[in-house]
Amino acid sequence: MTVNKGKGDVTVGVLALQGAFSEHIQLLRQAAEILADKHTTLVRRRWTFIEVRTELELSSCDALIIPGGESTAISLVAQRSNMLEPLRDFVKVSRKPTWGTCAGLILLAESANRTKKGGQELIGGLDVRVNRNHFGRQIESFQANLDLPFLSKANGNDFVGTNEPFKAIFIRAPIVERLLPNVNGEQIEQATIEETVIAPSRSMDETVRKIINIGEVEVMGILPGRAAALKHDGTKEKLDAEAGDIIAVRQANVFGTSFHPELTGDARIHVWWLEQVSEALNRRRSP
Amino acid sequence: MATSLPTQTNGSANHDDSFTQKTGLARMLKGGVIMDVVNAEQARIAEEAGAVAVMALERVPADIRAQGGVARMSDPKMIKEIMETVTIPVMAKARIGHFVECQILEAIGVDYIDESEVLTPADHAHHVEKHPFSVPFVCGCRNLGEALRRISEGAAMIRTKGEAGTGDVIEAVRHMRTVTAEIKRAGSMSDAELRILAKDIQAPYELLKETAKLGRLPVVNFAAGGIATPADAALMMQLGCDGVFVGSGIFKSGDAAKRAKAIVQAVTHYNDPKVLAAVSEDLGVAMVGINCGSMDSSEKMSGRGW
Repeated sequence: MTVNKGKGDVTVGVLALQGAFSEHIQLLRQAAEILADKHTTLVRRRWTFIEVRTELELSSCDALIIPGGESTAISLVAQRSNMLEPLRDFVKVSRKPTWGTCAGLILLAESANRTKKGGQELIGGLDVRVNRNHFGRQIESFQANLDLPFLSKANGNDFVGTNEPFKAIFIRAPIVERLLPNVNGEQIEQATIEETVIAPSRSMDETVRKIINIGEVEVMGILPGRAAALKHDGTKEKLDAEAGDIIAVRQANVFGTSFHPELTGDARIHVWWLEQVSEALNRRRSP
Repeated sequence: MATSLPTQTNGSANHDDSFTQKTGLARMLKGGVIMDVVNAEQARIAEEAGAVAVMALERVPADIRAQGGVARMSDPKMIKEIMETVTIPVMAKARIGHFVECQILEAIGVDYIDESEVLTPADHAHHVEKHPFSVPFVCGCRNLGEALRRISEGAAMIRTKGEAGTGDVIEAVRHMRTVTAEIKRAGSMSDAELRILAKDIQAPYELLKETAKLGRLPVVNFAAGGIATPADAALMMQLGCDGVFVGSGIFKSGDAAKRAKAIVQAVTHYNDPKVLAAVSEDLGVAMVGINCGSMDSSEKMSGRGW
């Protein structure tokens, strides 16, 4: 399936084991149209967007989105569909561009807490610890207007309304509770913390290592005035000053957001991400 | 083949931010299985099987049917125990029209309320006005008019009624096929014809028009009422449902954990007969069930509500 692919052809998969995958496909299509209109300098890409349920489908992808849904369910179904290891290979060994939203962010974290009894399997890829259902239950779900600096840097002039805040929807959302140092192997220190699960280590492919430097995690978005957004005082007390309120992060091709850009109809983040994918492929295909 | 739910739909006359959050959670449940559980132990089995949410209730529909009597909202203590035990969303049922049961369920913090015909209705005419609540609602339907009336009242998610507690999928299929056929018919109508249809099926015109344009319900639509096997679940998915509720079908069967896992796999891989064959193997005894064809109409729960 990977043969006969032209230089400008890119296949982007959306993991479709469970959750809001069709919303991402719709936003990706919208984003590809916007890109087709604006690009003159970059190589014109021919984008294909597919739902991914099997290893074979995953193997045809150049980039992947792991959507929102229930992270425990996605993780269990992935395990039983023999998808966990192929996903770890995709993200950590090949380091192909991957974006996780909400549940997807949890799965891409190297460490997560407040998981179900007995823990859950993580894919890993981002050296962060996420806190699941950070804001509480569904009645604490909320929307907030975010300033996402990376959006205005991304060819902002071509983009109508790029400087407008991004309306972000948080549904039983996780947050990045802590940035972790990049370590050789598993986040062993995290494993000693009570009720915390970690992702297994996979070393990056040697040829990929020459192109990509893992580096430290970059904070891409912060939720301001978070305490004010919460309705219940009980939740406010749980806020950890040290933790911060990081809701978007990136580390060497792997991007995570705790909110749901796929629920807004606003394709700006998808446009930005496809540009990132395109650049990553340029680096990879023409070394 | 299911039609995708567009990222932005109105789904309600007074569309606002809170409705986006309510329908947003339903979208996150898509492609998943929601399981009826009566205690924390069953909730853990459901979570371990890969359920996207659990429905906490005192008796599964099959037992409500067998034991009779008035079926009401469950003891909040039991619901809270389940909420403390699992990390996935917890839903709970309130009686049709019983807005105080809904207030109580909201106060204890459940993630979704099912205004359900499985419980004994509390109001002969009114359903709950659901928009004022901050907790989202799911409601049952047998046809398009009923679905749109519920959405108009504020339901953020719809399910087929099917015939709960029977293990017989025929009514769920009937309700899904009815909704699909009615939407298809509406799709070919002019605005003038849609006004007549809106009157005939007692649905708000604007919602009907939006639905006709989308070619599907404007909110997430699950199957419910009689699903007992992985094949039943995949059948409902292929008929266009976004996900599946399983009530008595799991914990009234021989090997609940195994069946629950199999149904979860079947909902993800609903279009892959090889996977369906593999997961259908050796599941033990399915729930015995009741043939809907031999039931008196007064025994059916789906007739409750309008």
